[in-house]
Amino acid sequence: MRSRIPHILLLTAGALLLTACYESSDVTRHEPGVYKGEADPLAKKLENDGELREQLNQRFDGQRDR
Amino acid sequence: MARMKFLCDADRCIECNGCVTACKNANEVPWGVNRRRVVTLNDGLPGEKSISVACMHCTDAPCAAVCPVDCFYTTDDGIVLHDKDLCIGCGYCFYACPFGAPQFPKTEAFGVRGKMDKCTFCAGGPGEDGTEEEFEKYGANRIAEGKLPACAEMCATKALLAGDGDMVADIYRERVMRRGGRPQTWGWSKAYGAG
Repeated sequence: MRSRIPHILLLTAGALLLTACYESSDVTRHEPGVYKGEADPLAKKLENDGELREQLNQRFDGQRDR
Repeated sequence: MARMKFLCDADRCIECNGCVTACKNANEVPWGVNRRRVVTLNDGLPGEKSISVACMHCTDAPCAAVCPVDCFYTTDDGIVLHDKDLCIGCGYCFYACPFGAPQFPKTEAFGVRGKMDKCTFCAGGPGEDGTEEEFEKYGANRIAEGKLPACAEMCATKALLAGDGDMVADIYRERVMRRGGRPQTWGWSKAYGAG
């Protein structure tokens, strides 16, 4: 009985150590060369907001000489 | 749809560094990082010229081509932006950029550079517009407020032009016609190709 205890402890420790070797099969695969970060709301705003576009155009034009 | 571009009129730039200061002030850029710089060509020689250089928001951005984590994206208006949450600070973009635009705020042990920082055309970055988080990471989002980049709006001689490519080219063409001489659009063809 006495000699079994170290064996059991060794097996438990081994099992616990091996749990760290677990590899998740659930991997996210991204297409290379494709941005995968957060979205930019400004891009949509520039596309749909006519008022903002008009405001910007006025500023662009304001760079002409006085 | 506009196609945002920068153009520096070398005949007008007086090397005042107003654009650099305006950029630093508007975006609260950290020490050691210069999103915009004024470069003098043929310094001290007859015919020396100064130009203001920053990220040109290239048509086919080489930084985006070499980024191993694809943290760059181009808006429909042609502004090249990046996501600091994805950036790993590898520095490949710095080697690829012909204008030396990417900047790294830290130099630490083992070559850790920190997240890359560059001119955003004052258009902030991904995520909610006008938030404190956006400002802290990317600086001002003046475009969302209907304003031009601070550097161009602050330029005293209107040497630095920013905005829709066609409009900017039109303004420059008008000037060259009036004053004569050859057009010298530094970096324009490198950044935007023929267009």
